[in-house]
Amino acid sequence: MIYLDHAATSWPKPDAVLAAMQRWYAEIGVSAARGASDRCIAAAREVAAVRQALADRAGVRAEHVAFNSGATEGLNLCLRALLQPGDAVLATAFEHSSVVRPLQALARERSLRVHVVPAAAGGVDLDAVRATLQALRPRLFVFTHASNVTGAVLPAAAMCALAREVGALTVLDTSQTAGWIDLRVGADIWVGSGHKALLGPPGIGFLLHRGLGLSPQKQGGTGSSQALAEHPTTWPEAFEAGTPNTPAIYGLGAALAARDASRQAADLATALARLDELLAGLRALPGIRCLAATTATRVPVASFTHAHFDPSELGALLAGASVHVRTGHHCAPWIHASLGTEATGTVRVSTGATTTRDEIARVLEVLAGL
Amino acid sequence: MVGCGALGTHAADALTRAGIGELWLVDRDVVEWSNLQRQVLFTEADAAAGTPKAVAAAARLQEVNREVRVSAFVDECSAAFLDRLPARPDLVLDGTDNFPTRYLLNDWCHRHSVPWIYAGAVGAEGAAMVVPPTGPCLRCLWPEPPDATSAGNCETVGILAPAIAAVSAYQVAEALKLLVGSPDVQRGVFTCDVWRGHYARMPLLSLASPECVVCAKGEYPALLAPAPLAATLCGRDAVQIDPGGHSALDLEALALRLGSAVQDLRRTPHLLRFAVEGTIFSVFPGGRALLFGVRDPLRARALYDRWVGRNA
Repeated sequence: MIYLDHAATSWPKPDAVLAAMQRWYAEIGVSAARGASDRCIAAAREVAAVRQALADRAGVRAEHVAFNSGATEGLNLCLRALLQPGDAVLATAFEHSSVVRPLQALARERSLRVHVVPAAAGGVDLDAVRATLQALRPRLFVFTHASNVTGAVLPAAAMCALAREVGALTVLDTSQTAGWIDLRVGADIWVGSGHKALLGPPGIGFLLHRGLGLSPQKQGGTGSSQALAEHPTTWPEAFEAGTPNTPAIYGLGAALAARDASRQAADLATALARLDELLAGLRALPGIRCLAATTATRVPVASFTHAHFDPSELGALLAGASVHVRTGHHCAPWIHASLGTEATGTVRVSTGATTTRDEIARVLEVLAGL
Repeated sequence: MVGCGALGTHAADALTRAGIGELWLVDRDVVEWSNLQRQVLFTEADAAAGTPKAVAAAARLQEVNREVRVSAFVDECSAAFLDRLPARPDLVLDGTDNFPTRYLLNDWCHRHSVPWIYAGAVGAEGAAMVVPPTGPCLRCLWPEPPDATSAGNCETVGILAPAIAAVSAYQVAEALKLLVGSPDVQRGVFTCDVWRGHYARMPLLSLASPECVVCAKGEYPALLAPAPLAATLCGRDAVQIDPGGHSALDLEALALRLGSAVQDLRRTPHLLRFAVEGTIFSVFPGGRALLFGVRDPLRARALYDRWVGRNA
């Protein structure tokens, strides 16, 4: 199989990730802070180390890192914790359903005013962002760090700075950027998933913040404060109710340890080189329209459409040649109006550092044969 | 009664009028205008409303004889569905239009010691056979399904209503005999051609085939086969069908078979596209397909089986 869906979930995972998870199942088997045995202490040390590694990626304190099942859970929890009835909230046209849908639900529940910054020249117009922030004065500016349809990376540092000027908190959805680029952009909250460019397993994600009083949105067991009927408000227990996914934390830890900043940058360069080879080939084919980022910074994701084939037909044709891509709207309901792809969506291709030149050539060969 | 098409409605009507105690109708499809030519329990109002066939048939049957307990199951007849039935039926009647479902009935009924009666019709011809739990079974006769691409089906070849009546008469008569425990249940394959006036019963050796995977080997392939998968595409009025297993669908043969029964037939080297029943089909080698203009996976499965897949 030629795998071009790294933006959905990366594959294959590094051997170290599989080995770490296997080690937990074979040798540990227990959760941190759920007992006093050597194994429990070993688990606690490992989880603390992974927590610290994530904290370092964003420049926050380790106790302000909560593990969860993924960006979807993190976004739901923090939006619920922060938004009050009648609040204004700003987002962008690039948002994923994991932002769009919680916002829509909360908008009904809490009479929120939701405003959306439109896409401009492949990214956002910072003057428009500033003007909207000043006019709206939102409690919160939630936005994705990069488009999961075009690969455009938004100017997150500038957007966070503009939000701070008007007293708005920022929530950064790093689903498409964590593991590719630097996350230290001055956000108030970072949310992400471990199973994409970080190369960890599915089922583990994180919420990081710079010392906000986020109140628990799910209550349950925490291992600590066991005699209390109330869920603790201390972090990270406040946001970690229930048995944690410790094997996945082990896997994520191994993935983080395997790639430092320079390795991450090298991987991104490789994946972008493969994506650009693919885009160059696609642009040479008749009937194909590429929808790829033109921003200075990109992640290795792009879309295309075909004049004569529906994206889902192209997806099936490529599947017939053992090429795994994604078709449709990619859970990004707001961006397709500006791309002119509301009706059918797109074919999305996303490369990884393991994607080879031969694989790209083969994909182009299949598409040329249409 | 599995299938509430032409055979199913004829048999259900006769059995309800005969005062059968309880009748379960299984069909996943809805009534369409083209059904009215041969499917006796339905009206123009049912077609206009697109009422599920099992529901429309049950309503009509209750008007005919309210003492019969009639239940409608709007569902696909799969192994899982049969396993979920509220009780084991005394008898299963075949009103389907495809061999994969008949093999499923065959295997499930053999495994659960339930007699069933095969019946089928196309054009002016028909066939029927009682399949007792002791065999011989359908697989003894046909170890492999008849060639799907050459046989044609109700949509591509058409079907003459009296062929249904003739086959149904045989099926219902045998059903009544089985239900009352008569010793006169007939063995063998009934065949007819109402155009040529040919009616015959081919006698069968009462012994099951020693080669039969079901009767001789006690294997039930249809109960193990992977279920076809139908998934609604994200944000689209479209469903993707994966037939499951190893299908060797020949797009060229399918195009020939569909012929003028569908519109806008277009063959590219990699897919076959056509429009029928308000739906655009894109069919790929191996049998995968996209159906545009339909959102309900069950409806998509029915359309797929009728026009592409299992309509042997």
